[in-house]
Amino acid sequence: MDVQEPVSGLRPVRRRSPWDAPRVTLILLLASAVISLPALRGSGRSLDYLANLKRFVDRFWPPDFSILPSIAPALWETFQIAILATLASAALAVPIAAAASANISPRPLVLATRFFLSAVRSIPSLIWALLAVAVFGANALAGVVALIFYSLGYLGKFFSDSFESADPGVAEALRVSGADRLQAFQFGIWPHARPLVWSHALWMLEYNLRSAAIIGYVGAGGIGVWLHTYQEFYQWDKFATVLLIILIAVLLLDAAGSRVRRHLAPVNELPANGD
Amino acid sequence: MTDKMLPHLQADGLCVAREGRELLHGLRMEIPRGSFVAIVGPSGIGKSSLLACLAGLIPPASGEIAYRCRGNCTHSPEGFRCKLGVVFQHLRLNPNCTVETNVLCGLLGQRPSWKTLWGFRAGDRQKCRALLERFRLSGLAQEMVGSLSGGERQRVAISRALIAAPEVVLADEPVSQLDPRLAAEVLDSLKKDARDSGSTTICALHDPGLVERLADFTLTITGNSESGWTFKSQCRA
Repeated sequence: MDVQEPVSGLRPVRRRSPWDAPRVTLILLLASAVISLPALRGSGRSLDYLANLKRFVDRFWPPDFSILPSIAPALWETFQIAILATLASAALAVPIAAAASANISPRPLVLATRFFLSAVRSIPSLIWALLAVAVFGANALAGVVALIFYSLGYLGKFFSDSFESADPGVAEALRVSGADRLQAFQFGIWPHARPLVWSHALWMLEYNLRSAAIIGYVGAGGIGVWLHTYQEFYQWDKFATVLLIILIAVLLLDAAGSRVRRHLAPVNELPANGD
Repeated sequence: MTDKMLPHLQADGLCVAREGRELLHGLRMEIPRGSFVAIVGPSGIGKSSLLACLAGLIPPASGEIAYRCRGNCTHSPEGFRCKLGVVFQHLRLNPNCTVETNVLCGLLGQRPSWKTLWGFRAGDRQKCRALLERFRLSGLAQEMVGSLSGGERQRVAISRALIAAPEVVLADEPVSQLDPRLAAEVLDSLKKDARDSGSTTICALHDPGLVERLADFTLTITGNSESGWTFKSQCRA
C-alpha cells in the first residue's frame, strides 16, 4: 500500500495590517479629544481660579475632630450599608452573569441580560438612592437597596467576563462525558472564575464604601448625611473631618482588599506539554 | 449474529472536515466490542479530528457514526455520551481543582446535578482512590492539578476518562508524556479493561512498538494522493 505524505497545509502568511484595532481606537480617541476641546471655554467671566481655590480650601483647615464621637455611628452604618449591598448584589449577580455569558447561555438570553445590565449600569448611584428613598423613606434600607441595584450592573458584567475567560475546553470535556449545563458550570467554569468573582466582589465592596458615603446626601443613610448637614451649614472644618475619615476608611479597606486579592489569582490554563 | 459479533462502533462513509479543510473522506469501519484500536498516521493528518468526531465534538461533514450499547440499541455520539470516556490530547483538566475532583468529574454523566451540587459521595471518592492507586497517583489526590507534572496530569486525564467504567474509551495520544515503561503499563491497563469488561478502546498512537504489541486493529490514515484518501484496517485478533 502506498503511504503518501500528507498535504503540507502551507498557507500564505498574513501580514499584520497597520490599521489594527488598538491603533484605530487610539486615533479615534485623540480625534474625539480634539473635537471636545471647545467644551473648556469656561463661564466667560474673568476669575482668579487659584485665589478662589485657596479661599475655599482655607476654610477646611484645621479639621474639627470634636465631631468624631457623633459621626462614629454613621461611619459604622456606612460600612453596614456597603457590606450588605455588596453581599446581596454578588449573590444576585452570579446567576445573572451566567445568563449573560456567551459560553453558558443561549444567545437571545445573553443579549437580553446584557441589555438589562447595561441599563442598570447607566443609572448613577445617586439616582438609585433618590428612587430608593422615594420608595423606602430616608433610611439605611434605602441605601442598601440603591447600592444593590447599582452594584448589580457592574458585578453582573465583571462576573460574566470572568465566566467567559474560563478555558472553554474544560467545560466542553465535561459535557462530552455527559455532564449537564449546571455541572459543566459548577466543575468546568466556576473553579476558574471563583477567585476572580471574589476579587471583583472585594473591589465592589471598596467602591460601595465610597458610594455609601455619598448616597447619604439624598437621605439614604450613612455618613453622607453628615456631609450634607455640614455643607448646608457651611461648617467646612467639620466637613473636612468627615472627608478625612472616609479617606482613611477607604484606604484601609483598599489595603486589606489588595492583600486578599494577591492570593486569589486563578491558574489560567495548563501548558499542553506539562513540564 | 451474536451480540459479541455486532460492531460496537460503526462508521459509514464518514467525512471529517475542520475549518473547511477536508481531513478524512469516506471512512468505513466496524469495530467489534472489546477491541483495542490504534489510529496511526503522521501529525496533522486528522487523527484528533476523527476522535473528536467520534466523541460528537465536531459533526461529520457527511456519513454516519453509530454506537451500539449493551442493550443492542444504536446511538449517535451525542446519545452515547454517558458511556464514553475521552482522553483529550490537551487533557482539558481544571487546573484550579484538585486531582480528586478532576477525576470525579468523569462521573458527572452518571449523576444528576442535584446530587453533585454539594460534592461527590464517599463511595465515589473510594472509587477514585482505587483508580488513583492504579495509576500511581494516590499521594496526589489533594494536590491542585496546576501543580502537577505533564505525565501526572496525563494519568489524571486517563483516570477521569475511566472512572465511570465507560463502554468506549477515546484517547488522543494518552501516553505521549509518559516514560516508555509507564506508557506501556497504562496502555496494558486499558487493554486489560477492554478484555475483561468488553469495553472498546480507540487510541491515537505514535509509537509503532506499542501499536504492534497492543492493537487488535490498526486504522492507518495516510495522506491525500491522486487516488484519494486511503485507509488500512488490519485485523490482528
